[in-house]
Amino acid sequence: MAEVELRNVGQFFRRSGGALVEAVADVSLVIRSHEFVCLIGPSGCGKTTLLQLVAGLTPASQGQISVDGAAIAGPSPERGLVFQRDSVFPWMRTIDNVSYGLKCRGVEKTKRIEIARQYLRQVGLGDVERSWPRELSGGMLKRVAVATVFANSPRVLLMDEPFAALDYVTKLQLHQLLLTLWEQHRPTVLFVTHDVDEAMLLADRIVVMKEGRVVDDRKITLARRRTVESLALPEAVAHKEVLLRHLGLGELVQDRTAPL
Amino acid sequence: MKRTTAHRLTSFGVLVVLAALWQLASILMPYESVPGEPMIPGWQILVTRTFLSLADYWQGGLGIPSVAQGGARTYAGAALAVLSNSWDTSLRLFTGLTLGVAVGLVAGLAVSWSKWSRRIVALPAQIIRTFPMLALIPMFQLWFGATFLGMALFVAFAVGVIFFTGTVNAVGNVSDIHVDYARTQGASRIQIYRSVILPAMFPELRSSILLSLGTAWTAVIAAEFLGAQTGLGQIIVFAQYFGYVGRMFLVALFLLFYAAITYALFERASRRLTEWMPRELATPDRYGAP
Repeated sequence: MAEVELRNVGQFFRRSGGALVEAVADVSLVIRSHEFVCLIGPSGCGKTTLLQLVAGLTPASQGQISVDGAAIAGPSPERGLVFQRDSVFPWMRTIDNVSYGLKCRGVEKTKRIEIARQYLRQVGLGDVERSWPRELSGGMLKRVAVATVFANSPRVLLMDEPFAALDYVTKLQLHQLLLTLWEQHRPTVLFVTHDVDEAMLLADRIVVMKEGRVVDDRKITLARRRTVESLALPEAVAHKEVLLRHLGLGELVQDRTAPL
Repeated sequence: MKRTTAHRLTSFGVLVVLAALWQLASILMPYESVPGEPMIPGWQILVTRTFLSLADYWQGGLGIPSVAQGGARTYAGAALAVLSNSWDTSLRLFTGLTLGVAVGLVAGLAVSWSKWSRRIVALPAQIIRTFPMLALIPMFQLWFGATFLGMALFVAFAVGVIFFTGTVNAVGNVSDIHVDYARTQGASRIQIYRSVILPAMFPELRSSILLSLGTAWTAVIAAEFLGAQTGLGQIIVFAQYFGYVGRMFLVALFLLFYAAITYALFERASRRLTEWMPRELATPDRYGAP
């Protein structure tokens, strides 16, 4: 069980010119245990900043973030993060990357290698455990990052546009892989994306941000696993239309009178 | 033909051409620094008479008496003189180098620990870095005398300054994403330094290491110029007093040879330590980039 609660969270930056920028403004949000929430919004709306606050990488300027009622104080392996850019350590072999977090926490070598191997096999990389990251493709590196984060058994999984740079097929394969791992381990997920289709495929709930604020929060009740057919159902299309309009793509939507 | 073989053959060809140019200069400019000592001695003189004369610096032992004790100049005596003086110089060099690298690295990492310490040290570090190293030799001599410790400390200072600033810069350039990645996996600060900062900064530190090696050779010879009783630098100083250009040139060649060996050893070790890097970054490309 890991319920994430954000209460009146704000984050301010001062630009080099001295102007104060409100990247995240008064965000209150509860993500229930085991829930898969996608955070969507146009570029620069504060999604990544919010994710970093939940990760504990940056302290919030105001408000409080807690997991199961305990205020967060810095990063923790309990809140695993998959970055948008390649974060896998290039100087460690694949198996050492996956077992790194376990090593940091003092897990005995045989045990951590066994766990790392298990996750590498699960993400389909059992045969490259001794490879250097430079020998792996972009998709494989993402698999390593996913295996690494799950090897740490996080209660909360934070993902910052993890598959944004991947080709279409690899992205779809990784969606299925992520859903399989999520169904097995059921961490609470906060997944940042700007891809409406990705959010519709993955999320229990889609939260929309604009200019640092939450402007929409909708539950997606479509049955899992979602298919091309289920994503074409009227309910899915209605959600998608609203989301596209939030992203400023109203011209792609036929019914322009539908309320947001 | 493999690229590396072609590369080596070209380098060897360049060396042969340089040696031929030296020989040509010795023929075209037959001047003497002192009577009987050519200003540009040809190879036939360097490998015979000049090399033999290095026996003067053998202090006796191993069944070969020193020239000062009335022994004859022999090739064995000359070889032992070169070896023993090279040993003394190398010992000073590697002691100073090890000390300088250790202190420079640890101080650089310590300063990089926080933003504030980096800010505090940034200006003094820049000032010390630009200080002319050779101007400090007399000061080191007054402090420590012409002793092993004084010479090793001078090398350590010269190397330490380079290594310190190199470390501070390299740590500053380590990608935040790797540090954050380690933090989210529960790594402590010490663990981040050991498993992220150190390996991540090594490629950038390579240039500081190469610079340190060159500086260490310069520093140790410069330190030996003033008052050392043994060492290759001391041979050069005595040779200069008497206008023995050949001896100076020959010792310079030995120094080149040793420096080349240290560079080659470092390159080999460096290749192992950067095995993880994409090949185009780990090996010099056609434009000379690292």
